Amino acid sequence: MVKRSEKAKTMRKLIKAIWIFNWFNSCGFAELVPLVGSRWDMERFGMIIVGTPRHADVLFIAGYQTLKSIKRAKRVYEQMAEPRVVIALGSCTMTGGMYWDSYNTIKRLEDYLPVNLYIPGCPPRPEAVFEACEKIFEHVKELK
Amino acid sequence: MTRKMRGKRFTMIDQMEPALKGTEYDLYFGPAHPGSGNFGVKLKIDGEIVVSARADPGYLHRGFEKLMEYRTPIQNAILSDRLCILEPLNWNLVHAEAVDELMGIDIPERAKYIRVIMAELSRIQSHIIWYGVFSIGTGFDTGFKMSFGYRDYILDLFELITGGRVYPAGYICPGGVRRDLPNGARDKILKVLDKMEEMIKLEELENPALGARAKGVGVLKVKDAIRLGATGPVLRGSGMDTDVRKDEPYEIYDRLDFEVPVGKEGDVYARYWIGIEEIKQSIKIVKQALKELPEGEVIASNFKKPKIKFKMPEGEVYVRNEIARGEAAIYMVSDGSGTPYRIKVRGPDFLHMIPVLEYLLKGVQIADVPAIYWSLNICPADMDR
Amino acid sequence: MDTKETELLDKIKSKFKVDGRIQRERRIWILTDENKLMEMCNWLKECGFIHLSAISVTDWLEDGKYELTYHLWSYDDKILITVKTKIDREKPTISSVTPIWKESAQIHERELHELFGVKFEGNSDLSPLFLEDWEGAPPFRKDFDWREYVREKFYDKENEREKVYYD
Repeated sequence: MVKRSEKAKTMRKLIKAIWIFNWFNSCGFAELVPLVGSRWDMERFGMIIVGTPRHADVLFIAGYQTLKSIKRAKRVYEQMAEPRVVIALGSCTMTGGMYWDSYNTIKRLEDYLPVNLYIPGCPPRPEAVFEACEKIFEHVKELK
Repeated sequence: MTRKMRGKRFTMIDQMEPALKGTEYDLYFGPAHPGSGNFGVKLKIDGEIVVSARADPGYLHRGFEKLMEYRTPIQNAILSDRLCILEPLNWNLVHAEAVDELMGIDIPERAKYIRVIMAELSRIQSHIIWYGVFSIGTGFDTGFKMSFGYRDYILDLFELITGGRVYPAGYICPGGVRRDLPNGARDKILKVLDKMEEMIKLEELENPALGARAKGVGVLKVKDAIRLGATGPVLRGSGMDTDVRKDEPYEIYDRLDFEVPVGKEGDVYARYWIGIEEIKQSIKIVKQALKELPEGEVIASNFKKPKIKFKMPEGEVYVRNEIARGEAAIYMVSDGSGTPYRIKVRGPDFLHMIPVLEYLLKGVQIADVPAIYWSLNICPADMDR
Repeated sequence: MDTKETELLDKIKSKFKVDGRIQRERRIWILTDENKLMEMCNWLKECGFIHLSAISVTDWLEDGKYELTYHLWSYDDKILITVKTKIDREKPTISSVTPIWKESAQIHERELHELFGVKFEGNSDLSPLFLEDWEGAPPFRKDFDWREYVREKFYDKENEREKVYYD
């Protein structure tokens, strides 16, 4: 039997839903907003979008970030309460993607924020985003 | 209480001085919005009235124009999808037309019809996003969920024809289109258009709160609109009858029969109404084009075997198109090598988001700021490039 | 050739003594000097060219010149005229066209000042638009190689995954 702390035990019971703060850059907008629509309804899995980072569990960085917007994203990350998870969407966050030779975009998101999960694709399909959220549930279950 | 006394009491309340004086503060509207990319506006507010607004762009600046100088035209065709994420096929078309005109290529007839069909479907899809995002901005959540549900029918069509839901991977390329319509595409397109007509009937049952929030708000007169550089639905909402598809027809628009809706008041409601009417006209165009679709090749003969590098002759062109948001143009200069020497991209949102927005937001109440902002149908990626 | 375009081109050639050509229907290209630019723009606006579509700068590195292009559209005649002029590349200054086309010219000139370094005299606001804390040469000039800059600043030659960018 794995010894778990009290906090982890309560978290396992409570986590049936995750609340997301979306940091929409353009590419993410076109692929993530349909998740809220009536076809890929994400509310049935318990995921909703909240308006402030203090209520959120997950920060979705969707798409390429520029030097100006990564500073704001960092501020948002600092305002989130533990436990928090960062998901990076798209190939631009992994290696620079299509804009690898642009002077204003950042090339590797892990240099700036601690990333828990990457979703590859340009842009990734909604089913991939759901699979990623499933992995988040399992990640929380394994928290010590 | 006599009527006279009651009247006097009410006028006394009207003449009361505003209780809060000296409450000027700065508010930053953005950058995380529920319905668009990152864009911020710095507002100076006095009580409830906005005194001045200053736009703060640059969150999505990638330096497109210079990125395209390092790549050949075929690679640029794939990059041109991402100029504005919400209508990739329309920007694809602008870039392909620029290269075609520079090289003097004759496109086969069937390719022209397919290009127009895809561009109009993309316009319908973009206006659906506009409707959805405008609803969430004015507090009508059901409209948002419904419209994004209907938009998926068109995205499935795009996946069937071009291979990508959102980005068509340079489907409209210099020389024509990459591949022909698959079998059964025609019937599927007609079925999807029927669903779109069903959606318009639902959209027209409007929310009565919309009238109060939208009529008479954010009025833009024609003279101001031209001075500030507005084009497209923003200019047509103020009363000017102009459309690049009618002024200088490109592809096959001179053979098709459609109308251009023109508003009168220039307020938020007029622009919203134009968006819905344009969807109806686009449906009409696609049906006509499908009926008249001729047989033949879909790509010019010297482009059939894909070549990554080909030489472009020296010269310069300026191509204008009408995308869903307004007038889009590309100025391309070539110096005889395989890559363009300079590309200048003129997007409609560059003018709508900075001069027009700063002008419209002066003197309005805070509660009207979202309605005006979303009515201009903006795409920050197009502005920053 | 269409009569409206040839008429207009002849009028301009006789009035200002400049070079010009008709590329195709609805496209006229005119080459002029800096000192005739303001007068010509004023006259063109009176003729009906009220819509300024775009202003652009092309960097000709070998000639040592910047070429400015002004693209004007007339809603009545439905013709697009492009006026081109060349200025020096090391000290690029030219008078602004904001007295003629007001705000729509001002925002284009602000962008070009930031990206190319052109000074427009008479423009009331030339503050940075897109970039925050950018110290360095204007980024869109031809002698600023982006691939070198990116390799130095962002990528790491020792890293396995990123060796490809150094070919």
